[in-house]
Amino acid sequence: MTILAFLIPITLCMGAVGLSVFFWSLRSNQYDDLSGDAERILFDDDRPLPAASARLSITTKETAP
Amino acid sequence: MRVLADGQAQCVLSIPDLRCGGCVAKIERALNVRTDILSARVNLTLKQAVVTCAGADTDPTSFISMLSQLGYRAIPADVAQSDADDTDKVGRGLLRAIAVAGFGATNIMILSVAVWSGAAGETRDTFHLISALIAIPVVAYAGQPFFRSALQALRVGRLNMDVPIAVAVVLALALSLVETMRGGEQAFFDAAVTLLFFLLSGRYLDHLMRERARSAVSGLARLSPRGAMLRQPDGVLTYVPLSAIAPGAIIAIGPDERVPVDVRIISGFTDLDRSLVTGEAMPVPAGFGDTLEAGTLNLTGTVEAEVLRSADESFLAQMMRMQSEAETGRGNYVRIADRAARLYAPVVHLLALATFVGWVLVTGDWHTSAFVAISVLIITCPCALGLAVPVAHVVASGRLMRMGILMKDGSALERLADINRVVFDKTGTLTLGTAAVGFGADDPALLTAAKALALKSVHPAARAIAMSIPELPCQLDDATEVPGFGIAGCIDGRAARLGRADWVADISAQAKDRASPVFAFADGPAMAFELVETLRPGALDAVKSFAAAGIPVAMLSGDIAARANSIANQLDIADVRSGETPADKIAALNTLHDDGYRALMVGDGLNDAAALAAAHVSMAPSSASDAGRTAADFIFVRDGLEAVPAAWRMARDTARIVRQNFGLAIAYNCIAIPLAMAGLVTPFIAALAMSASSILVIGNALRLNRPEKPRRMPALRHKRSEVLA
Amino acid sequence: MMSNLTSPERARAMLITVAGVLIGLTMAIVGRNDPMGAHGWIVLLFCGVLFFIVADKLYDAEPVEDRSISYYDDPTKVGILLALFWAVVAMGMGVWVASQLAWPDLRFDAAWSSFGRIRPVHTSGVIFGFGGNALIATSYHIMQRTSRARMPDQVSPWFVLLGFNLFCIVAASGYLIGITQSKEYAEPEWYADLWLVIVWLAYFVLYIRTLARRNEPHIYVANWYYLSFILVVAILHIVNNLAVPASFSGAKSYSAFSGVQDAMVQWWYGHNAVAFFLTTGFLGMLYYFLPKRAGRPIYSYRLSILSFWGIVFFYIWVGSHHLHYTALPQWVQTLGVTFSVMLLVPSWASAGNALMTLNGAWHKVRDDATLRFMMVAAVFYGLSTFEGSFMAIRPVNALSHYTDWTVGHVHSGAMGWVAMITFGSIYALTPVLWRRETMYSWRAVEWHFWLALSGTVIYVFAMWNGGITQGLMWRTYTESGTLRFSFVDTLIAMRPYYIARAFGGLLFFMGACICFWNVVMTIRRVPHHAPAIDYPTTSEAMEPAVPAAE
Repeated sequence: MTILAFLIPITLCMGAVGLSVFFWSLRSNQYDDLSGDAERILFDDDRPLPAASARLSITTKETAP
Repeated sequence: MRVLADGQAQCVLSIPDLRCGGCVAKIERALNVRTDILSARVNLTLKQAVVTCAGADTDPTSFISMLSQLGYRAIPADVAQSDADDTDKVGRGLLRAIAVAGFGATNIMILSVAVWSGAAGETRDTFHLISALIAIPVVAYAGQPFFRSALQALRVGRLNMDVPIAVAVVLALALSLVETMRGGEQAFFDAAVTLLFFLLSGRYLDHLMRERARSAVSGLARLSPRGAMLRQPDGVLTYVPLSAIAPGAIIAIGPDERVPVDVRIISGFTDLDRSLVTGEAMPVPAGFGDTLEAGTLNLTGTVEAEVLRSADESFLAQMMRMQSEAETGRGNYVRIADRAARLYAPVVHLLALATFVGWVLVTGDWHTSAFVAISVLIITCPCALGLAVPVAHVVASGRLMRMGILMKDGSALERLADINRVVFDKTGTLTLGTAAVGFGADDPALLTAAKALALKSVHPAARAIAMSIPELPCQLDDATEVPGFGIAGCIDGRAARLGRADWVADISAQAKDRASPVFAFADGPAMAFELVETLRPGALDAVKSFAAAGIPVAMLSGDIAARANSIANQLDIADVRSGETPADKIAALNTLHDDGYRALMVGDGLNDAAALAAAHVSMAPSSASDAGRTAADFIFVRDGLEAVPAAWRMARDTARIVRQNFGLAIAYNCIAIPLAMAGLVTPFIAALAMSASSILVIGNALRLNRPEKPRRMPALRHKRSEVLA
Repeated sequence: MMSNLTSPERARAMLITVAGVLIGLTMAIVGRNDPMGAHGWIVLLFCGVLFFIVADKLYDAEPVEDRSISYYDDPTKVGILLALFWAVVAMGMGVWVASQLAWPDLRFDAAWSSFGRIRPVHTSGVIFGFGGNALIATSYHIMQRTSRARMPDQVSPWFVLLGFNLFCIVAASGYLIGITQSKEYAEPEWYADLWLVIVWLAYFVLYIRTLARRNEPHIYVANWYYLSFILVVAILHIVNNLAVPASFSGAKSYSAFSGVQDAMVQWWYGHNAVAFFLTTGFLGMLYYFLPKRAGRPIYSYRLSILSFWGIVFFYIWVGSHHLHYTALPQWVQTLGVTFSVMLLVPSWASAGNALMTLNGAWHKVRDDATLRFMMVAAVFYGLSTFEGSFMAIRPVNALSHYTDWTVGHVHSGAMGWVAMITFGSIYALTPVLWRRETMYSWRAVEWHFWLALSGTVIYVFAMWNGGITQGLMWRTYTESGTLRFSFVDTLIAMRPYYIARAFGGLLFFMGACICFWNVVMTIRRVPHHAPAIDYPTTSEAMEPAVPAAE
């Protein structure tokens, strides 16, 4: 079954990619609040949130003397 | 506020009233709209919000008050204590190890199944090689928790559960490598890695349960003050952590707050709940020059006070020291799993050795003998043992949590199962609040007026009076609370007072010499109220359950004999001791311990926190003091005392399941070991046996979830009439 | 819609279409003696039309919308409509091809309308045309909403959507012309496959870029399911379609694999296409639209993550169960069986999770046909995965292989799970996307539901009966040890089942037509509804009383 010499490495690579992606997700705190994150999709407001940089400029503008 | 690397500041607010997604949305929206906040994120699991601001000088009190207007109490979590980057490092490490072991196990399993299904010759050898290449790094990474623990144990000359596991995994791997190089037919790579996967899962479940309980408990604990409102030299009040408060500083303590450090009042009047010190629930007035101990509850007024001692030296801190001393005594309790390991490890090793020697003697073939001996090690699946206890405990803790009972760790459950004595504290444990019974002219006008005044105060006595009067309150012209004395008001032009008898006597002679609290109109008849303690719902049934099970119940109370005996009579408790100080309570429990009894102590930690630590196992209600919650093994969040027998029954059921699981594991070993010793165990059988025994043990533990849920049946509820009888 | 693009974007779009026209022209010229030439003209025409659509708006005023406070929904809208268009066309083809089995004269004596040619038009049309467009459109919606961020650019979503549809058109037209690789669900030839790789790469990059610019730190689980769909399908597609063209001026190519090795690769691809195209992709849809429509969070978010990893790891090796009792080595077949059976665990975990989410909201399922579509889809998902695991076992497969039971199984999954969750999601999405209060006709949604359900049930029952009859007839021996029934005998026995199945498919097709009509009428007739408040009120979401598999 020579084709497995091809298919098995491919599958192992896919598995390794999956594993590293899982590690990334752990590092980036994806699992820190599973209850809250399940609820977030239910929020009704249908608009994007302001980007982080935009917030910073709003806030510093306001608090600057 | 904690300053971050980029100059931004962050604070963590604990919001215990968070219930659902709607709350999360409301709070986040309200906070994010503010211009002084960069970002706010709510964590529903931990019930907290992390708020990031642009500068460190932003004052959190403004958003705290905004949140309370929305209906959510927000308390700054102890910034010094909690790591804002509160990652559960151990849990994460375990998850990573599980992920690696899982990846290894599934991929090796593919190759193993292929071999077992008949792939032979070169294909088989290639698959073994690939399995080896996967297994070596996987075992090296995922096996670390076990290797480290085994080495630690061996270094002190002991054997724990992890030693045979580590030995089995390493030997299995070594043997399989040898087989692979020899082109042999069988390899145990899948067994080694699957073993790691199952055991890591068990370990992770155990850890998760502890973390959940810990964060739930510490979440409650965050309600207690970690700081105080300090009056700065320039007169401004700022919130500072406890560590920043030195003797001589002036702090302000508002109503319904716990006194954070030992202080002496320099201005203001208030009423205090000093039960932490005296055990007595009745509020005590305090004013200029009076000393307040840390941990007592300020009820009605706002006072400014001078700090006498730093937080470390406060009364509360002393109590906690007493308690931790008591707790070290408890550390000697050896958990069931460890006891099993003490027996299991040497037995298994001896058997493997005996197998090896036996086979060598019989066949003279080193290789086959080694193979058979290692298969003995592998098949005596520590899976079942490794999972037997944690799985049962996790399921039990889930059940308990649904019943409103939080468990600190598995050893608590084990200890609760073998108690033969129960000791209850009285105030706040067997009793819950006070009810008021009126004496005097049964005049509805007086009752409605009294209720009207009572509603104006947060004093427990006033609340009790208000709740006891069924009639609607009448209209008030005005009312003012005079902390330490009562409420003065005007009804239909007539002056009226509700409060201390001698103070009410100032406007009505009939109030003189009556027992407090008293209500009277100016120059009118007076009505006195007697405050009686109400039993906590479920108290009678709790006592009866234990009595029926043959476990004697005792009561230890710091209160006066009359009140203690009255409650004891209602509950049918014969063994009563009153007037006990915290030291007395510890002594009582130590005596029980020395006499060979294993006692469950149920108390609210107000003056018995150290006693909770000294008992064999302890429970506290969620309304307990911070010290009590820390000391107790279990915390029940609902009002009813039936949680105590329910937890005990759960502990017994769990112990039974754990014994069954051990039985299953032993029975399995009795079948598996002879088979292995006879050389009949192939890697396929080993993997199958491992999975089957693990699943069996998990399935058995899940039986704890069966619907024999203790329902709060109507009969268990207590009405006040029972108390007044 | 094109006027929502800025001038540089319009220019870029036109450049791409011009490139397309040139490629089409090249194909037409180079392949003039080959069917590939016809494809060249089709590509040219397609890109030419697009060129003129953009060119028409080239000098329009610049768009005024503030891109930082709105999502980009135009490609999503078009994607939904395209998905429904393909549904109608491809399901119609399905009814036709099914009818041919009962009434062969429906071929009308032409080559292009023969069974072998229109069958793949149906299969590719429903899987790629209907399913693929639905996945692309819903993923555009979900990735933006769950990231709380707009897509990174306006041209690549169109490139992906329209490029993918070009692939579908080339595929369908190719089959009718007679172009096929003869690999199931991978019939299009080498140039179409190359084009799909380019489009798919653009899709993946678009998805990652959107997630990278998210303003919501948590990546919702549906996105994981979609990403695995995109990534794994790409790898499967590339590996399975590795081929050497006989000549660059013709459609014909030779697979890099042959014989039993090729069979293994084909079904490694084929089954994983089912796994990652038809399962994980649509699970992504389910995990977003079901809780959203029901107004409650997923029953156990943790379980959805666990079953994601379970599905990803277990599905890859089940493919050989398509090759039982063939020249494939026995142990490879057994491997497939083992994993097929183990796969049941994560699959049922997903189905269970979806149904438990609805626990306590059954009154909504009763009253809301859209939610009911999704609930029935979850049930069929559970049923089909069980059926699949069962059929993968060798002795069972000995009866079912090559029979119509397999077809029944495919369609219980395709109609009962894939199509129903798609329709449910479309009905949930349409009012939101076009800012209408409701669908044009809720009654039509009910009609669709009952037509779809009865169509599926009739179809599946017909095929179960037919398939088992076939299998049993094929293995019936006489006393003297010979086969009792000839093949023609079995065909005659099948006829009533084929008629029933065509009828079931017809009902399903009618439902799809009603859906298309309803969506179009919603866009045209239902008045615009700007929500009075665009901040969240207390959500109805009830925290499940028990934190489930925590």
